[in-house]
Amino acid sequence: MGFFYKKKKEQLKSTTPPQSQTKESNDKQTLKTKLQDNIKIVKDTLGNSSDIIIREIQIGKGGVLKAGIMYTDGLSDTNSIQDFILESLMLDIKDAELKVELTPNPKIIEMIKDFAMTTGEIKEVTKFDQLFLSLLSGDVIFLIDGYSEGLIIGNSRWVERGVTESTTQTVIRGPREAFSENIRINTALIRRKIKDPQLWMETKIIGKRTRTNVAVMYIKGIANDKVVKEVHFRLDRIDIDGILESGYIEELIQDAPRSMFPTVYNSERPDVVAAAILEGRVAILIDGTPFVLTVPALFVQFFQSSEDYYQRSQITSLVRILRFFSFGIALLAPALFIAATTFHHEMLPTSLLISLAAQREGVPFPAFIEALIMEITFEILREASLRMPRAIGSAMSIVGAFVVGTAAVEAGLISAAMVIVVSLTAIANFVSPTYDMSMSVRMLRFIFMGLAASFGLFGVTVGLIALVLHLCSLRSFGIPYMYPLAPFNISAQKDTIIRLSIWKMFTRPDLISQQNIDKQQNPTAAKPVPPKPTE
Amino acid sequence: MKKQILILLIVSVFLTGCWNRRELNELAITMAIGIDKVDDEYLVSAQVVVPSEVSMNAGKGAAPVTLIQEKGKTVYEAIRKMTKSSPRKIYPGHLRTLIVGESLAEEGIGDALDLISRDWEVRSDFYVAVAKDSTAIEILNVQTTLEIIPANRIFNTLKVSEENWAATVGVTLDELMVDLLSDGKEAVLTGIMVTGNKEIGSSKENVATITPSAIIKFDDLAVFKDDKLVGYLTEDESRAYNDIIDHVKSTVGTVSCPEGGTIDIEVLSNKSKLKGKIKNGRPEVDINVQIEGNIGAIECSLNINKPDSIKTLEKLYEKEVENTINHSITSVQEKYETDIFGFGNAIHRSNPKEWKTLKKQWDEHFAKMTANVKVDVKILKTGTVNNSITEKWKD
Repeated sequence: MGFFYKKKKEQLKSTTPPQSQTKESNDKQTLKTKLQDNIKIVKDTLGNSSDIIIREIQIGKGGVLKAGIMYTDGLSDTNSIQDFILESLMLDIKDAELKVELTPNPKIIEMIKDFAMTTGEIKEVTKFDQLFLSLLSGDVIFLIDGYSEGLIIGNSRWVERGVTESTTQTVIRGPREAFSENIRINTALIRRKIKDPQLWMETKIIGKRTRTNVAVMYIKGIANDKVVKEVHFRLDRIDIDGILESGYIEELIQDAPRSMFPTVYNSERPDVVAAAILEGRVAILIDGTPFVLTVPALFVQFFQSSEDYYQRSQITSLVRILRFFSFGIALLAPALFIAATTFHHEMLPTSLLISLAAQREGVPFPAFIEALIMEITFEILREASLRMPRAIGSAMSIVGAFVVGTAAVEAGLISAAMVIVVSLTAIANFVSPTYDMSMSVRMLRFIFMGLAASFGLFGVTVGLIALVLHLCSLRSFGIPYMYPLAPFNISAQKDTIIRLSIWKMFTRPDLISQQNIDKQQNPTAAKPVPPKPTE
Repeated sequence: MKKQILILLIVSVFLTGCWNRRELNELAITMAIGIDKVDDEYLVSAQVVVPSEVSMNAGKGAAPVTLIQEKGKTVYEAIRKMTKSSPRKIYPGHLRTLIVGESLAEEGIGDALDLISRDWEVRSDFYVAVAKDSTAIEILNVQTTLEIIPANRIFNTLKVSEENWAATVGVTLDELMVDLLSDGKEAVLTGIMVTGNKEIGSSKENVATITPSAIIKFDDLAVFKDDKLVGYLTEDESRAYNDIIDHVKSTVGTVSCPEGGTIDIEVLSNKSKLKGKIKNGRPEVDINVQIEGNIGAIECSLNINKPDSIKTLEKLYEKEVENTINHSITSVQEKYETDIFGFGNAIHRSNPKEWKTLKKQWDEHFAKMTANVKVDVKILKTGTVNNSITEKWKD
C-alpha cells in the first residue's frame, strides 16, 4: 500500500517544477519604460482575455503625456473609474503643463498620485506579479509612457451577496448576521464587534493560482503568541495552487489529519468568531467563503452554541448536559441496542425483552443487519435531501418517512423498536450545534455498531476506551483537545459542561490565552446587586 | 509494515465471528420451570413465552405460553433434551418462578437445584414454590388473566401478597440456598396450588369467563427439614413465622374485643429482633416485636374516643400476637422438630463457642428450647371516623 503512495509522490515531484519556473520568470519582471511594451506584456500574459479593459489616454495640456488605464471588467467599479480616475485625469488636469514641468522630474507619478487621483486606496507598482495580482483582484492599474512605475488604484467592487442571516448556526436569540464571501466585509463584521486597537489582522496570499486572500485576526496581548506563530508557520507552509474554501486551509493546517474529529473550529457567525478572539483564539478568514476558522479548537467547544451566552445560565447548563447526552445517544444507541438484544438478553427487563422479542418475530435479518439497513437508508435520505433541489424536498420527506418508518415495519422487514432507535439516533445527532462534530459521530456510530455486533458490550467498552484514548491524545495547536476535562481544570469548569453566570466567569480559559487571563478586573463588583431599600 | 499488521489484526478479530450471539427470535424465553420426579427420573417442564401472542397487536388467539416437557436422569439432561421438541433453545435468563413438585420435595430438592443455581445464565432472583397436593406441570398448565403469562402472574401475585399480607413469603433461589446450607435455619418455601377444574384451566376458556375455572393460588408455607418437605404451616403459623424472621411489611391484624366483636388493625410497620443467649447451659431466644398501626375497622362497641381504650386495644393486640407466635413455635417444635425460624443462627451469633457443640444435635435442642416473646404495639391513628357506626342503633 505504502508503495503506491511513494510512486505517486515521485511522479508529482518530477512534473511540477518546470511549470512554476516559467511562471516565476514572467512574474518577476519589472515594468518597462515604454507604455506599449507594458501593454503588450499584459496582453500576452493574459491571452487577450476579453474582460481585461485597456484604455489608452492622453493627459496634460495638449495631450503630451500618454497613459494607460487597465482594469478587469466586472471586478472593478466602472462608475468610479469614470468619476474619479478618468475625469480627474482627462478633465481636471488637462491644462496642467505636464510635459514642460514634469518630464525631467522623476516624481511625476507622485505628482499625479498626490494631486490628480481623487480616490482613497493607492499604491505604487514596479513589478509585473504585483500588477497582475492587483489587476485580477479588481484594482485599476495606471501606467504612464516613459516610466517604469505605475499606480494601483484600489477600486475593486464585486457583486456582493450581502450580509444575510446565518443558515448553518441558527439561534433564537442573538445577532442574525452571518459572514459573507467577501473577506473585507468579514473583517469589518469582526471589527464592528471588537473596536480594540490591539485587534490585529495579518494578511497573506495563499494559492499559487487562486491567490486567495487569507487574514489572520487575533487580539495582541490576549492570544497566545506561540499559537499565533504556529498559525503563521502552518499557513506559510501551504503550497497549493488553489484555495476555494476554508475547508482547504483547515485540512492543510489541522493537527490530526487522520482523526475523525475536527481540530479546527469553523463558524459563519461573527459573534462566535468575535467571542473566540476575545477568549484568545486566532481567527483565520479566507476570501470567498463565509466560514471563518478559529484555533485552537477544543472538544467541548463543539458542544457550545453562541446562544448559550445569551440565554439564562441555568437553562444553558441544562441544554449543554442534554447535548452531551445526545452525543452519547447518537454515538451508542444502535450499538447498545444490538449488544443488548443479541448478547445480553439478561440485562433487559423481562417485559421489555418479551415485547422486543414479539416485534422481532418474523423479521428476517439479524439485529445488526437490520440496524445497518436502517442506518444506511437514513444516511441515503439525509444525503439526498441535502443535495437535491428544494422543490422536491417535501416529496422526498414523505417517501422517506413512509419507506423508512411505516412500510418497513408493516412489511415485517424491520422491527418497530429498531425504527425507534434509529430515529432517536438521527434526531440526537442533530442536537449538536456544530455540523463537524455530528459528522464525526455519524462515522463512529457504524464502527461501534460493528463492535457491538461481534463482541457485544465488551466490544463497545473497548471501543469507548480506544475513543477516549484517541481524544486525549489529540492536540489542537498545542492545546490538549479534551481540555478542560483532561487535563482537568477546576476553574474552567465554569464554562464547560455547565455554564455559570457571566459575572462568575471572570477569567479566560487559561490554557488558550495563557497570558492576561482576567476578563473582569474586579470579580466581586461584577455580580449585579439590587439597591438596598432605604427607610 | 506496521500498518499492514494492524489491518490484519483488526480483520482477524472480525473473523472470529459472533461467538455466542443469539437473536431474540432464536430464544425460547422460559418464564417458569417445573421439576417433578416420576419413576426415578426428573420430569422437567418449561413454560416458554410465545412472543407473537404476547405482543400488543397479538395474533392468532393461540396460548401465550407453551409448555415443553422432557424426562431425564438429571435436570440438565432433561433441559437439553427439550431441543428434541422445541425449535429454540431454552433461555432461562428471565426465569420468574421455579415450581417443585410435591413428590420431589418430599424426596429432597438439593440435587435438582444444583444445576439451576450453578448455571451462569440463570439469575437467582426468581421465586421457588412447592406445588401443594399436585405436580409442577399442573401448576404451569393454567392460563391466567391480568398477567397473560402465568409465570408472571405467579411472580407478581407472590410479590404483592408478600408486601401486603403477613402470611405469605416469597423465597428466591439465593435465599433458599442460604437456608439449605445454613446449620442454624431450615428452609421454608411457599406452597402453591391449583383449585378448580384443571382440564379447563389449560385452555383459552379459562380466561374467557369472569370466574376462571381454575386458579393458581398461594397457600401456606411448606416446611423443610434439610432439603426434604416435612409438612405445611397453618395460616397463623405462617404469620408468626414472618413476624419472627422480620419479614412483614404491611398487613392487617384482627383483635377480639372484650365484649365480643372484632377490631382490625392496619399494620404499617412491623419490626422484630431475634436475640439468642445461653441461660443455665440451655439455649434461649428473645423475640422482640414492635408493631405500629392504625385502626382499620371497628366491629365492636369499644369507645375509641377515650385514650384509655386505645391503650386497652394495644394491650389486646399485643397479647394476640404473642399468643400466635408462642403457639406457632411450640407447634413447629413438636410437629416438625426443624428450626425454620433461624434460632440456631441467633445462638450462633450470640454464643459462637457454645454453638459449635450445640449444632451437632440442634434439632433436639430446638425442640426443647424456650422463646421469650415480647410484643409492643402502638396505635397511631383511628381513621377518618370515630366510633363504629353500628353503635348508634345499639343504644
